[in-house]
Amino acid sequence: MIKRVIGQLGCVAALIVLGVTAEAHQLNVFASTDCTTVLVEAKFSTGRRPISGDVQFIDGEDKVLATGTLNDDGTLRVPWTDLDTSTGLLITVSTGAHKDFWIMTPEDIAKKCQS
Amino acid sequence: MSRVFLASLVASATVAWPLQAHYGMIIPSDPMISQEDGRSVDLTMSFSHPFEHDGMVLERPAAFTVTHEGETVDLLGSLSEATVMDETGFTLTYDLERPGTYVFAMEPEPYWEPDEDAFIIHYTKTYVSAYGDDEGWDTELGLKTEIVPLSKPFALWERNVFQGIVKLDGAAVPFAEVEVEFFNEGAAATAPDELMITQTVKADENGVFTYAPPGAGWWGFAALNTADYTLPQDSEDKHVELGAVIWVHFEDWTGQ
Repeated sequence: MIKRVIGQLGCVAALIVLGVTAEAHQLNVFASTDCTTVLVEAKFSTGRRPISGDVQFIDGEDKVLATGTLNDDGTLRVPWTDLDTSTGLLITVSTGAHKDFWIMTPEDIAKKCQS
Repeated sequence: MSRVFLASLVASATVAWPLQAHYGMIIPSDPMISQEDGRSVDLTMSFSHPFEHDGMVLERPAAFTVTHEGETVDLLGSLSEATVMDETGFTLTYDLERPGTYVFAMEPEPYWEPDEDAFIIHYTKTYVSAYGDDEGWDTELGLKTEIVPLSKPFALWERNVFQGIVKLDGAAVPFAEVEVEFFNEGAAATAPDELMITQTVKADENGVFTYAPPGAGWWGFAALNTADYTLPQDSEDKHVELGAVIWVHFEDWTGQ
């Protein structure tokens, strides 16, 4: 299931990230939720945090639900109520030269929010 | 004496008196879990002669932990008994909640080896990265004895060198002896001589050793030292062999 959902959202992600060359300072994106907010965390492979970056929250039907900008510590919090998470979330971060994404599957969300 | 008869005698003797190196083992389902792989890792713990794929009984360990972002969690109660290489071992599925490197470590109960007239305790560990983040790959756990990686202990191509520092009680062990053995799953690898089953390298004066495996797969490195204490067996004090074991996976080279 997780691979199928990631596959669907990953197609969108692949299109977004496509064309980005592999950099030595790779960007890694992770997102989690406490069901109140979604916390996006971005970090370079060096351990340093990007001081800014464009964030998009996209649903499973390729619809942009929300956008934002990373804080100078490489994080962004978005209220849970701003997002329709029923089809999962694709969260993309672009710092310009570096891009990455995290996929929050419906399973990830159910595990945290429906227990 | 014919060669066939001699070979037959040798084969019988080898079966009766195995001389292989013992290894504690922690083998993850994947040393690098990406978000596409899922949100957990499966671990298999055993005690074996890994090249021969010859299992031995692993008693429930004295300790089993995971360390991530500086925090160590006791997982001993989460281990499930399982049959591994036809003997008792353990399995565990562990949820990877966040990115970074997870270090799984096992301290077994002392194993009495009558052939060596000594106990064996192999402090065993392996490193698993989650979601593309390798932070923490060089974590030192502070075990009684351990190999602290100088090469990232995952994301290695076959024939890359692996380097580590052998430590005992927190100090580097000059010229420590390190045994190296391949986990021969599927028994595809054969050894032209028993000296090729367990290879041996020595550390330098700073406790640093280097090894480059000939092929992909799981490779175990065991730095062996004698403890500064003894344990009783049959009313006698017996030596204790302390092993610092690390399991490292090397990936198939995909280029030409």
